[in-house]
Amino acid sequence: MIDPIFLLEAAVNGIMLGGVLALLALGLNLIFGVLDVVWIAYVDLVMVSMYAVYFTVMVYGWPLWLGGLAGVALGVVLGLLVHVLIITPILDSPPVNQLLATGGLLFFIQSFATFLWTTDHRSVRIALPPLEIAGIFVSYARLISFVLSIAVMIGLYLFLTRTYIGTAMRAVSQDRGAMALMGANPQRVYLVTSAVGGAMAGVAAVLLSIQYSVHPYFGAAFGPITFMICVLGGLGNMVGAFVASFIMSEIIAIGGVVWSTEMGYVIAFALFIVMMFVRPGGIFARRQ
Amino acid sequence: MRRVRVLLAVVLVAAVAFATVPGRDAGAQGQTIKIGVLFDHSGPFAAAGSLNVWRGAKMMIDLTNEKGGVLGKYKIVQVDGDSQSKTEAAINEAERLLNVEKVDILAGVYSSAHAVPLAEKVDKQKKFLWITTAIADAVFKDRNLQYAFRPQTNSGLFGEASVQYVASHSSAKLKRAVKELRVAIIYEDGPYGAGVASSNESEAKKQGMQITLKEGYSAQAPDLSSLVTKLRAARPDVLFHTGYNPDIALFLRQAKEQGLRVKAYIGHGAGHSQLNKLKEAFGNDIEAFHTVDPPAAQLVDAKKLKTGLGALTNEMVKRYKTFEPAMARDAIAPHVSMGFNNMHVLLNDVLPRAIQKHGGFGPDALAKAARETDIPEGGTMQGYGVKFHPPGHAMAGQNMRAFAAVFQVQEGTFKHVFPEVIATGAPILPLPASSPWAAR
Repeated sequence: MIDPIFLLEAAVNGIMLGGVLALLALGLNLIFGVLDVVWIAYVDLVMVSMYAVYFTVMVYGWPLWLGGLAGVALGVVLGLLVHVLIITPILDSPPVNQLLATGGLLFFIQSFATFLWTTDHRSVRIALPPLEIAGIFVSYARLISFVLSIAVMIGLYLFLTRTYIGTAMRAVSQDRGAMALMGANPQRVYLVTSAVGGAMAGVAAVLLSIQYSVHPYFGAAFGPITFMICVLGGLGNMVGAFVASFIMSEIIAIGGVVWSTEMGYVIAFALFIVMMFVRPGGIFARRQ
Repeated sequence: MRRVRVLLAVVLVAAVAFATVPGRDAGAQGQTIKIGVLFDHSGPFAAAGSLNVWRGAKMMIDLTNEKGGVLGKYKIVQVDGDSQSKTEAAINEAERLLNVEKVDILAGVYSSAHAVPLAEKVDKQKKFLWITTAIADAVFKDRNLQYAFRPQTNSGLFGEASVQYVASHSSAKLKRAVKELRVAIIYEDGPYGAGVASSNESEAKKQGMQITLKEGYSAQAPDLSSLVTKLRAARPDVLFHTGYNPDIALFLRQAKEQGLRVKAYIGHGAGHSQLNKLKEAFGNDIEAFHTVDPPAAQLVDAKKLKTGLGALTNEMVKRYKTFEPAMARDAIAPHVSMGFNNMHVLLNDVLPRAIQKHGGFGPDALAKAARETDIPEGGTMQGYGVKFHPPGHAMAGQNMRAFAAVFQVQEGTFKHVFPEVIATGAPILPLPASSPWAAR
């Protein structure tokens, strides 16, 4: 029987992981909600921004906050570029074509990153001491990431509910056609959405940079789980994605301690499959 | 009528094409030998050692060609394949190399997860496979492969070497009787990690050590904090870890941040042997870390080897400088030696015998020549000898004379610390107080 203190530690670590997963999932879900297109390559955009953080901080010696801003700025630019170059031409195409296009973008980004930066793993080395509270160890980097993730998510919530453009984004996500009929310009809303989604990818990149090495295949670790969280929460459902992030991360963390690391992931993925049968529209979807 | 003419033309072209393809076993063989060199040039395995083995193999092929080729007249044509760190891609690339490029020999294979399915597929096609790197026992165990050979050591020896090393220093340096020593074993859950972990476990049981945790994880896992928590609960003195990269970097980062403390940390090859990558992630914190791999040629005392092998090692180090100009000689990953040395055995022992004694370099001639390989200990740059287990043996095709060495990071470079016969430094145990992972 495992000491309860370690179970508590696992639960705390699960919450920390959930914060970062939620940030990734909300960015992807925001874009899906408004544009109705799944950016399969979303985490690969995060990877490119992580390289920006790495190069500015470790190679050019910028302070982390400035390198972080560069990462976020690159995220915005990438979000806009992807929208203009890839998404706009396929906005009205069948979903399978959209998936193939963003899937192709994923392989392009991975291959191009390998070409530019090789397969080496690169790390932003910052010395953070372990944080021990009553026998529970928490990673400082994770704690910082968690707090910032929550702050960014609150900022996103306020942006969507308190600003004109945020309201327009929500309106488009509810009925794309009606907005155009009412004289609003959906293209502008799409561009802002892509920029905000890109900015969130940039913020995630900064927070992940202080916890993980970056390499061209970084997306393989976080891409599938981010997508699963979005589906579990309901594609386009922001609250659902937020809650699903913590459900998944807690199952992984606590399941890993109670049974085994592999079993934690097995249970999380099994739950995902079961939920797809029980609530295919996501955990907060209304029953038809 | 026109269709008949077209059909006849196609048949004629096919017949001419077929007639002009040289038979590789016949006396009419060309003066080139095509070798398919299959490694991971992309994906996470590339930086975890695969690229370094490829570099070693390429350097040896280039060197051989500069000397006129095998036996001074058969030039090697190297055809590269990229396994992309994916099993399906490795299998597809092997098919392409063997059946489209029509290579005479398929060599390389970094990952055991690739080697396990590949070895059987290639063997069934009766094509010759020369495995330079992948170590899992499962590649050969109870399969009685006829055309697959591995001069490289196997996972069973990796796991045994590390546990024996710890056992030999348990009382004197770790201040614990072997039977009181608490050890934990963690591993990536593919054939490579599982193979080494299994041999860690059986050897630890044989030595009477207390295994407090044995657990696998996916090398793609985005989070290993629960594993760290479990390890803290298990309180091991020594941690045996088999992984690739970036999983080991993730684990070490989270272990450091979550307060995991041990007396000794023993990694096993792959990412643990890429010293420059570990240094980039952790700086000098990795001082006194261990890894297990076949010996690195540049760390082996050349005086104990067959004459001329020391010069060959110097040549390897010199050529490697073109890839990593700033790297210290002793910090070069053992993977470079695996590619260079194991390709040397193929080009300078197996191939000449196949051509001279068995009439060519077709799969049967090569397999016969490989079975006759009999290089004594000290006969290769890495110190081990080469003799393959014969058909019918549980490990048919595996080099019975290979051995594994335990390395330790000392003053920023590698030293061999076990077995004693090849040791180039005294082991530093337990982890020094300056290490963030050191038990206090």
